[in-house]
Amino acid sequence: MLEIRSVTRRFGETVAVDGVDIQIAEGEMVGVIGRSGAGKSTLLRMINRLIDPSEGAILFKGREVSSLKGAALRRWQRDCAMIFQQFNLVPRLDVLTNVLLGRLNHRSTALNLLNLYSREERIQAVAALERLDIAHTALQQAGTLSGGQQQRVAIARALMQEPKVILADEPIASLDPLNAKVVMDSLADINAREGITVITNLHTLDTARRYCTRIIGMARGKVVFDGAAQALTAEAVRRIYGAEAGADAVPEAITSTSIETPAAPEPAFAG
Amino acid sequence: MALPRILVLLPMSASTHGTVPSPAVLSVERHWQALVARRRLYTAGGLLLLLLALAGSLWFANATNAGKFFDRLPYFFDFIGQLVPRDGWEVWRALFDLPSPHDDGSLKYNYPEGRVYLTETLYLPEYFYKMLETINIALVATLIGFGIGFVLSFLAASNLTTRRWLRFFARRFMELLRAFPEIVIAGFFLAVLSLGAVPAIIAVAIHTIGALGKMFFEVVENADMRPEEGLRAAGANWVERVWFAIVPQVLPNFLSYGLLRLEINVRASTIIGAVGGGGIGEALRLSISRGHEAKTLAIILLLFTTIVAVDQFSAWLRRRLVGRQAFEFARGG
Repeated sequence: MLEIRSVTRRFGETVAVDGVDIQIAEGEMVGVIGRSGAGKSTLLRMINRLIDPSEGAILFKGREVSSLKGAALRRWQRDCAMIFQQFNLVPRLDVLTNVLLGRLNHRSTALNLLNLYSREERIQAVAALERLDIAHTALQQAGTLSGGQQQRVAIARALMQEPKVILADEPIASLDPLNAKVVMDSLADINAREGITVITNLHTLDTARRYCTRIIGMARGKVVFDGAAQALTAEAVRRIYGAEAGADAVPEAITSTSIETPAAPEPAFAG
Repeated sequence: MALPRILVLLPMSASTHGTVPSPAVLSVERHWQALVARRRLYTAGGLLLLLLALAGSLWFANATNAGKFFDRLPYFFDFIGQLVPRDGWEVWRALFDLPSPHDDGSLKYNYPEGRVYLTETLYLPEYFYKMLETINIALVATLIGFGIGFVLSFLAASNLTTRRWLRFFARRFMELLRAFPEIVIAGFFLAVLSLGAVPAIIAVAIHTIGALGKMFFEVVENADMRPEEGLRAAGANWVERVWFAIVPQVLPNFLSYGLLRLEINVRASTIIGAVGGGGIGEALRLSISRGHEAKTLAIILLLFTTIVAVDQFSAWLRRRLVGRQAFEFARGG
């Protein structure tokens, strides 16, 4: 269980995250929504410890991870894989090597620098790519791939970390609707099959509604909504996106990246 | 809500936990292994060639040496022994032009004679004045080189200049400028324009244009072209695109290279001073050749302090101008 205890983060005078208290059970699929600058990214980055909290503590299964240092910190970072909006792959390395880089923390530095991976790891990496339907790109330079393909490589790299939590920071914000769907489907699939907790920042309401069992709404660094997707009423949306957003001032069709309209019946491919 | 699973080609148990890998997976894995093996072979071959070249170079250097390297080695410390002054205070007297108790009227102890009087009583010690002369050469030359190299670099960058011939001339011109060491150009100009600081400035500036221009255009070629595309779409002309889309992103790098060049140029103008360009280099050459150990040590001390000071100053300036965030990328924010 991931526990965030009154965590605050300041950047100079500004308070990016303000006394956030959240508990996330194992295997949940959580969507974090809010306007840009609401502190969503900062929250996710603090969980992975790319940024340190100014106050408060983050606990995973009872162990405080917000105070870890050195090798223990790197082991925690391996356990909570991060997926970025801009993919953050190494563009000049081939795709399979990028995926294998997810193994770095499982192995010795000497072996890593010599680029020696076991056959199981290589097969595991190709299988991860195949699961995301991009095994045919394995030998290409990662930088030559399209955005959607690169994000899938990033997910394959995250899988290779064998994480307990996957944090996705706006994973579909720079993708077209079809690729966005593919990426969100694979995150949902990983969550359903492996039972890995997925926490993802999203900027579209209907994506959050469609994929996440639980939605956390943030505004000005504070949590202003926390509940099931069904409970996200127009009133709650107004609280998250500000008072000037009237009951129908945030028409979901405008921000939608889904191919079907949100009102459409369950898609036929759902299994 | 049912979860979509359209993506999954393989059952999970067989894919990521590797019980029964499919033939397709095995084939990709094999191809990648072949690719990696080939890359390793190239790396090993490259390393071998490098080692051979290094061994050959060492052998050649030894063969062309006069052959007395090891014979002369024991005398190395004799030279240092000759540098020890009569007493420790002599170094400070030489540095600050104070009268010496050992003064016998010879050039060796005539420290106060070099004083440069600013007012009736306030003076600048000789070597500080000469050091200023040298720094001045370096500073002016770096500024000239930065300005001209700046302009040329955009003409030489293949992502900005589509006219092949223009790029060709810009690049060849800069190559020509940096082909000759400063000291060779300085020798030429000193012979033509007589001794002094101006020929030294010209010589250092010429080399700086070529050296900075090359580094600059490589920075420009690595620039992100999306802002440029954005301005092109807004109807901006070439100069506007370069100024607003490229310059803001390359300027921090330009500045770093410029400051590094300033440090290099301080050393270069010292050396040029020794061949007639004036400044501290000339004083150093004279004091070494005349065997004035206190003066030599004073100059070396001053040179060392100056180089450290220039280094610290440029680091400070870079932080102020480039902004702190360029140094704080690791912790996010």
